[in-house]
Amino acid sequence: MKTQLIASMLAAGMLCTPLSAAELTVLTAGDKNMVDYVNEYLGPLFEKENPGTKVRVVGTGPGDAGSQKILERFEAQGKAGVEKWDADVAVVHEKFVGPMVEQKFLEAYRSRIPTGSLVTRANAKIALGTNVDGYVMPMFNSQTALAYNPALVPNPPKTYDEIVEFAKKNPKQFGYNGIKGGASGVSFVMGWIYAYGGGDAQKLMNGPFDPNEAKNWDKAFASLKEFTRNATLTPGNAGTLDMLSRGEIAVGPVWVDMFYSWKANGQLPPEMKLVLPAPGMPGQPMHYVVPAKSANKELAEKFVALATSPKVQAEGIVKRFNWYPGIDAQHVQANLDKETWAKLFTDISPEELAKYGKPFPISPYNSAILEAYERQVGN
Amino acid sequence: MSAKLETKVSDAWGSETPPQARSADTSGMVQATGSAAESGGWAMPVQAIGLLLVAPALAVVVFLFIVPLISSVTGAFDVGGALSLGNFAKAFELYSGDMLFTLAIVLLSSALIALFSIMIGGYLTLGSNPRAVAILRWIYRWPLFIPFIVVGQILRTFLAKNGLMNNIFIELGLMTPLSAMSFLDWRGIVIAFVWKQTPFVALLLSGAMASIDRSTIEAARNLGANRLRILVEIVLPQVRTTLLVGLILSFVTMMSVLSVPLMINAQSPTMITANMAFRINAYRDYGVANALGLISLLMTSAVAWIYLRQTMREHSR
Repeated sequence: MKTQLIASMLAAGMLCTPLSAAELTVLTAGDKNMVDYVNEYLGPLFEKENPGTKVRVVGTGPGDAGSQKILERFEAQGKAGVEKWDADVAVVHEKFVGPMVEQKFLEAYRSRIPTGSLVTRANAKIALGTNVDGYVMPMFNSQTALAYNPALVPNPPKTYDEIVEFAKKNPKQFGYNGIKGGASGVSFVMGWIYAYGGGDAQKLMNGPFDPNEAKNWDKAFASLKEFTRNATLTPGNAGTLDMLSRGEIAVGPVWVDMFYSWKANGQLPPEMKLVLPAPGMPGQPMHYVVPAKSANKELAEKFVALATSPKVQAEGIVKRFNWYPGIDAQHVQANLDKETWAKLFTDISPEELAKYGKPFPISPYNSAILEAYERQVGN
Repeated sequence: MSAKLETKVSDAWGSETPPQARSADTSGMVQATGSAAESGGWAMPVQAIGLLLVAPALAVVVFLFIVPLISSVTGAFDVGGALSLGNFAKAFELYSGDMLFTLAIVLLSSALIALFSIMIGGYLTLGSNPRAVAILRWIYRWPLFIPFIVVGQILRTFLAKNGLMNNIFIELGLMTPLSAMSFLDWRGIVIAFVWKQTPFVALLLSGAMASIDRSTIEAARNLGANRLRILVEIVLPQVRTTLLVGLILSFVTMMSVLSVPLMINAQSPTMITANMAFRINAYRDYGVANALGLISLLMTSAVAWIYLRQTMREHSR
């Protein structure tokens, strides 16, 4: 009886294992293009290299809200004590990997995959103040910058001081999306505090957190309120680009990858250009993470290894989506033609990117700055 | 979460629509409620079966409505595990302007919806040109079938400074390019709400108007009253309750819309729903979001109270 039971269980196990091992579930935050990227490019490539596997992708929605949903999903399954979670790989915003690592939801897998050593950038080790070294592989790096219409603005502002000057001389010609309509506006505000916050911007980016720091920002927010009166508020990240293309504003902060994609699709006039102002604006990576309770860890690691290989980073991330690569650039450059590489750095040179591309502030400062904005600028 | 709650609340009201509104041909559900009430004096086993039949619906209400509502209410008073009013203090400190803004927007929209739906219903009832009436009847319901998010999307490009509407005006010579301005602020929200909700109220209202006793209208006409006077003095008083029900349901719906303020209004102040989403997505702060939800629930409850008082008065007559 007993042996029979064990035998039948083994048989059932043998029937089930290949089925469940063959399906890899990828959760991804972000706009529809993130789902498309896995569905149309990465998934088929992985299925081809691993015959018999099937990649299933679930989009959880754009912006922080999408990553928030993934975090809540992990929390729910963790609290319920579920043994095998329903996700094998997740793509999340930088802000959310810290809490995930702290709550032990993630697998430290980087040292096990061959591409792990191709990443040396600081934001793959520290995510907004939390040590996440080993738990994440950056899918890409994104950056905000000012987009402008050279026909209306032959000499774009190259520093925050010049932006202020510009808005004074050209009322309503500078547009940004506040802080509730997407991260390009948030990024502009963070850059403002880096420039005028009165304290040490490095402390905001690296910690430690000191609640008294907020007092230093009063002057910066007062001047931002004054500045916003001369500016136009746009509805969302896409709203800024829309208004630029309709000529309703002349300058505004945008995500670099969105800017290039819109240009490539003809949604933005081809003559539009970018400038990254001093002392800098934030950007952020999106990370691949593997849940600690994934049912297919080995397959998941294989998937991330493929996704962060120089070839895929060159072909998929840089060429298709105009994102800055997640792994170190020199490994990617060799896999790309000169033209594509140059296109990514037409308006913003690698030196400028290195100098003025900043991380977002660490989480507690991030929240404190947003709330101070609500209190002092929004009200 | 509370958006979902509010629509639930509105569903509950819908089934309680008073007998007056039954003549307005609102739904079969109303009729069913009426006949169930009349069958109150039946024998015991049937009552037991009735209870059994109600049980699944009751369970759904308890688990999907009452339980989340209670957790949302307790969450609003929860600051780091302790009972506190801190969330409300913060909500009022940061968003008191937005609360007034929300109330003003929704009240203004309700007033405009009332005006337009009376105009539409009135013309459908009293209009003398059959072709115009037929066309209006055919066309006015269209926005009913368009989701709020799509309304937001359409109006976002239509109302922009260099958007379709201003471009048409400029082409027609009604406006110079320099005087063009963007309507993507509070006006855009009001336009979206009125455009989307007027057909709903007009549908209820025209149904009610169609079922009132025509002889009252004919009598007034024979006595020489013009159509406007008939509408205001004869028709409207008879359909007042239906109008009120429609407006209250619209009020609750508009209070819970997130997509329109997000798509159209970039400015500050904005509507409470946008702030609730922001609290959760930017800060993971469910406490203040719950507090804001409770505050908007209080606003809709105030309206519900007016409605209940009204129906009580009608019943006692």
